[in-house]
Amino acid sequence: MMMSHRHALLTVALVFSFGWLFVVPVFAEDVAVRVKLIQGEVPTDPLSADWNKAPSTEFPMSPQVHWQQRIGSVTVKSIKVRCLHNNKQIAFMLEYADPTQDPADAAALEFMVGEKKAHFAHGQPMAQVQGGPVNIWYWRNNTGAADMSAMGFGTLKKQAQQDIQAKGIWKDEKTKIKFKERKLSLRKDPKGELVKDPKTGDPVVDEETKVVEQEVTGVWRVVFTRTLTTTDKEDAQFQPGTFPNIAFAVWDGHKSDTGDLKESGSQKAVTSWWYFNAEPPADYSIYLYGLVAVVLAAGVEFVIIRKVQKGSPT
Amino acid sequence: MGSSLTIKGGVLLVAVFLVLKFGLPLFTAPLPMSLIWLYLFLTTIGIVVFGTLSGHSTEALLGPIFRFLSGEGIGGATKFARVAVLVLFPLLVGWQTYSGLVPSSEPPSENRTIHPAPPGEFVGLANPVANTPENVMQGKGFFSAFCSPCHGAKFNGNGPASDGFNPPPANFVDAGTIAQLQESYLFWRIKKGGVGLPVEGHPWKSAMPRWEVELSDDMIWKIIMAEYAGSGHKPRTWE
Ligand code: HEC
Repeated sequence: MMMSHRHALLTVALVFSFGWLFVVPVFAEDVAVRVKLIQGEVPTDPLSADWNKAPSTEFPMSPQVHWQQRIGSVTVKSIKVRCLHNNKQIAFMLEYADPTQDPADAAALEFMVGEKKAHFAHGQPMAQVQGGPVNIWYWRNNTGAADMSAMGFGTLKKQAQQDIQAKGIWKDEKTKIKFKERKLSLRKDPKGELVKDPKTGDPVVDEETKVVEQEVTGVWRVVFTRTLTTTDKEDAQFQPGTFPNIAFAVWDGHKSDTGDLKESGSQKAVTSWWYFNAEPPADYSIYLYGLVAVVLAAGVEFVIIRKVQKGSPT
Repeated sequence: MGSSLTIKGGVLLVAVFLVLKFGLPLFTAPLPMSLIWLYLFLTTIGIVVFGTLSGHSTEALLGPIFRFLSGEGIGGATKFARVAVLVLFPLLVGWQTYSGLVPSSEPPSENRTIHPAPPGEFVGLANPVANTPENVMQGKGFFSAFCSPCHGAKFNGNGPASDGFNPPPANFVDAGTIAQLQESYLFWRIKKGGVGLPVEGHPWKSAMPRWEVELSDDMIWKIIMAEYAGSGHKPRTWE
């Protein structure tokens, strides 16, 4: 009886040590900005060659139609984001096509502040979840950088302590942009009559969605820099190895024929939350732990086999 | 005869695993891996308890396993397999330890509940607006003015403003959205928007507007009728 007891425990242990080996982590499919760790200073110049070291991630943008003062279409349909850090400073570069350079051209990054989740639209209040504030890093061609806070619509303000730097350079170089274009058309029969849905009687609408690649002239490159952490309670704080949220906004400050700004205030191109991840410094102790695990496992294996060989039930 | 209990136990474990991992998701949400391991653990205990009830069955269950481990009385391919297992085991343990510790470059997995429970006051409301062609037509007009930029003119989530949002605007033609819901539920979602979701719905990332700020209840009910008419689905009812 003693014997079978010990064997039973042994078997359970064996099955589980094997089982644990095949637990495969489940990965999320979300896109994140990969922030490479570099030696030396992070680039503050949008044209620095250092940016070639940073992987680039592209995010499609929507015209802002989530809240009032909507806008039906915007100039900037996607942005490319690169980011580098050196364990002290972090630098983001936004790159996007804009055919004209205007004083009111602007771009912004948004982050959650503290542990509480914040809604991507200026940290507006949520009905069942207590939200937190957002930190907005704003840059405008004619006024430069502004470190800002908001918690709800109409609460946006410049912080007392300004911790960010920003620099934008526009070049009239050619670039390719890719975006989805949708065309709607009323379906007609060969005689040119509108085709109606037999069930509802409504005209049948055909939709064609295609990815358009276009060459345009004019590229903004805007770099935002800050220290990973600051002394300001209103700021987002970043730790390498974590996955903070990030959202983007861009305004084309071009004026229409009547002299009005086409995009300003809440009429802008936006994204909702994505992630970024600052690469943590290499930690060689991980290899050591792996090695220790191999030695321990081999040891346990040896002991088990010895036990089995001595007290073999047959 | 001796090996049959080991094999039966092994087959049972594999069967339980396959059912939990691949069978169950056909009917409901997939189980987390940790829960599957717990069930397999309980099954193993069951098999071991059953197998060790008597000395005879103990031998039937464990004999083959122990002979494999000790290497006594085995030869040929089995002997080779034994060496392979004994060498691979520590290496796998080392690899698993390493990959568990190495910092992940993948974002945390998102377990967003798409259809969380609505607040009590939005359960079981009936659409007070008569389902007449005029009302549906009005609703379709409101839909194309307010909703189609995101949810698309064809109710499929493919509006011109849908690309920048994560999660994307719902596709009402898909069988997984409004076809599964009651009108009352839609009334809640449209009135309170993304920010009205409970924590498991991740309200902070939803672009769905809070329409109570801009639209009357009457308009919302008409839009709901239009959404069903336009997407070709029927609201779910209790019958
Ligand atoms: C700014 C884009 C946007 C607009 C405009 C918009 N929605 Fe949404 N809607 C979303 C997004 C994103 C989701 C998915 C996230 C969520 O469930 O909150 C959604 C979800 C929904 C859902 C939930 C579907 C489900 O299966 O749970 C309903 C119902 C809905 N929208 C109806 C409407 C109606 C009606 C309108 C117009 C009055 C509208 N929406 C306008 C973005 C939008």
